[in-house]
Amino acid sequence: MDRRQFIKDVFLWSAGATLAIPQFRIIPSALAADKPQPLLSVAKGADYTALVAQVLAPLGGMAQFVKAGDRVVIKPNMGWDRSPEQAANTNPLVVMALANLALQAGAGKVMIFDRSCNEPRRCYANSGIQAALAGLDDRRLKMDHMDSRKFVPVQIVRGKLLTNWEIYKDALDADCYINAPVAKHHGLSRLTLGLKNSMGVIGGNRGDLHHDLGQKLADLATVIRPKLTVIDATRILLRNGPQGGDLKDVKQLDTLIASADPVAADAYATTLFDLQPADIDSTVAANKMGLGEMDLARIKVLTA
Amino acid sequence: MVRNKKIQPYLWRRLSQLLFFALFLFLFIKTDYSGSDELEYAVNILFRIDPLLALAAIFAGKTIVALMLPALFTLLFSLVFGRSFCGWICPMGTVVDGGAYFLPPPKGPAGNDLRAIKYYLLVFILVAACLGLPMAGYLDPFSLLVRAFSFALYPAFDFAVSSFFGFTYRHAPDWVNAATEPVYELLKKFILPFSHKVYALSLFSLLLFAMVLVLNHWQRRFFCRNLCPLGGLLALVSRFSWLVAQGGDEQCGKCRLCRAICRMGAIDEDRRISPADCNLCLDCLALCPRNRIHLSFQRPPLTAGSYGMSRRAFAGSVATGALLPLFLQSRLLARQPDPLLIRPPGALPEEEFLGRCVRCGECMKVCIGNALHSAFLEAGIEGMFTPLVRSRIGYCEYNCTLCGQVCPSGAIKKLTLPAKHAAVIGRVFFDKNLCLPYAKGIGCIVCEEHCPTPDKAIKFRPQPVVNARGETVTVLQPFVVDELCIGCGICENKCPLPGRAAVRVTSEGQTRQAGQALTGR
Repeated sequence: MDRRQFIKDVFLWSAGATLAIPQFRIIPSALAADKPQPLLSVAKGADYTALVAQVLAPLGGMAQFVKAGDRVVIKPNMGWDRSPEQAANTNPLVVMALANLALQAGAGKVMIFDRSCNEPRRCYANSGIQAALAGLDDRRLKMDHMDSRKFVPVQIVRGKLLTNWEIYKDALDADCYINAPVAKHHGLSRLTLGLKNSMGVIGGNRGDLHHDLGQKLADLATVIRPKLTVIDATRILLRNGPQGGDLKDVKQLDTLIASADPVAADAYATTLFDLQPADIDSTVAANKMGLGEMDLARIKVLTA
Repeated sequence: MVRNKKIQPYLWRRLSQLLFFALFLFLFIKTDYSGSDELEYAVNILFRIDPLLALAAIFAGKTIVALMLPALFTLLFSLVFGRSFCGWICPMGTVVDGGAYFLPPPKGPAGNDLRAIKYYLLVFILVAACLGLPMAGYLDPFSLLVRAFSFALYPAFDFAVSSFFGFTYRHAPDWVNAATEPVYELLKKFILPFSHKVYALSLFSLLLFAMVLVLNHWQRRFFCRNLCPLGGLLALVSRFSWLVAQGGDEQCGKCRLCRAICRMGAIDEDRRISPADCNLCLDCLALCPRNRIHLSFQRPPLTAGSYGMSRRAFAGSVATGALLPLFLQSRLLARQPDPLLIRPPGALPEEEFLGRCVRCGECMKVCIGNALHSAFLEAGIEGMFTPLVRSRIGYCEYNCTLCGQVCPSGAIKKLTLPAKHAAVIGRVFFDKNLCLPYAKGIGCIVCEEHCPTPDKAIKFRPQPVVNARGETVTVLQPFVVDELCIGCGICENKCPLPGRAAVRVTSEGQTRQAGQALTGR
């Protein structure tokens, strides 16, 4: 082998390696089609475990979303090394109740994960979610740490600004993806709700998304499509979000919001903070792309 | 010769070596976050039983370091059992013995004319430590070993294993993965580090460790015989030890088999065994054709010159240790410390810190954010391998206090969580030429999002900015409130700019040193 041949070979081999990376194209079906009036359920109560079943009841209960044998993903926000009282993460009782209902509905596997901002083990532990789920003691339940091998490059065909990003395979594969964010303040996006919570299943340098974040979250929402969004507003963080740390910034509302329409859920949740759906860029952008309803007058609110 | 049917004594020694090495590995792996804020095991015990590091820290600080009192045990142990610590317990000794299988030492007796070097080094180290030049951690066998394991060997092992299972995951058929994935799960749970870590000076630490092994090529246990200052200290004590190996005598005729196989070069021409050198490996007991060598509690008479030291060289090492510290005052560092020398929270004031720190790398191993790294020359020649925060690589996790828990000498104090939250290790400043909302009129404030203080030290205000297209846009511009910033560096770490961060930490304002902050702003 001479030098020329060697260089050629190197290029050939490395080109092969580049091409071998699988690309996933997710073509969202009938996104812009006319949809019936979205249903949204709101429930209030101090027993958070019971509250989850209560808020789902008007929507047809968990059985409406989870079929026997389904691979279910529940995606809470557990991005921060904070305790449940500090309201930076989804309430552990809410996550536990959701998981329990999914199991009762006959789920084949229930996976719970989040790509955290603080050290993952501390977030899983101190959010209280790990301990709450351990209490269920069901082999179908998996709360594993993210596995870097499972981030796959995805073409976001309908994305306006974000056209390609790495997304967690298990989140894409799921038969039923349940988005379970906590409602809280966020400096840049004003609030972090359901659409922002999807950032926990993507790879790469996430800070990169912060420029024109609203549109990019809407772009992500074309490929990360929860069947059900349950927004935890049992405690909400009013200031110093998204991680808080001061109990003075926390307000207890004892409220849960649930909807199959991710945009409607976010839109309704803004009212808890005395804001309007139009104040949140991602809600506006997603609505404009036909991903869901943001006009509160056109959402059918069922009080459970 | 009748072959002895019972277990040969040296097998007990090997068993002991294996057990202590396994214990070492166990504690090494356990030097990690375990799911609770407090560590479960005394993972730093190896360094706390090291009398060399204890003496150096005590001399440097001129105070008793209570954490290191277990080192007394090792001295007492040596007073009874001689250098059997080196032969039976020391994990570095075990690695050196193991390395001899792969890099066989020369056959036959080697001269032991270099053995005095370890005493000179010991004397130099202790005198220098006393006068402000702490060097003990450079040659301490445990520090050398743990640094190489933490910074180089363990990450390399992790990389090898992860690459293998990454390959099978991506390319192997399902039936292979059905077998490999459970194995990977187990390895991840019990053996592998939680995340892939990187370390400053990893290759250099590996090189130093490799040299210890390669030296075997000239003499068996070259490092232990000639260089190890801890070995030197234990040798001084062992000269008076109760338990010694008694060698042969004139009746042995021409046989000097014991001398030929001795791994420590402890046996002289007259088959006398020097208790300062013998590490009681017991090889000679088994190999002596006449079974003449035995253990006894009767010390042979002390013979002059058994250390092999010369008076002149001894004086030379005292003088070097005494004089070298004087030159440190002529360095630039004496006037202006490096502003990027950001010490972990709880670190003592710099001079005290350098004297106490034993360069074991435990804090870097345990650092949950991969924030702590070896200094190279940032703290002077005596500060190599001391920990500093490299925020662009990893940040100091707000609610974590592990580094203070593993520090064997108290160079990093063990902090309560409220004390940790109040410990300022530095402060950040914004580089407005780089920061997107300032320089390009592009929205960002990732730094503000991650700022962990309950009242955020990084805040923002909306400002109109003319962007690159000449349009006036309103963006949120971040700024720091000095009184709230503790220098944890998560902002620098998470700054999304691909190269240099636009927000960076310097040691300004650190609470461990007075006079580090401007007042009255």
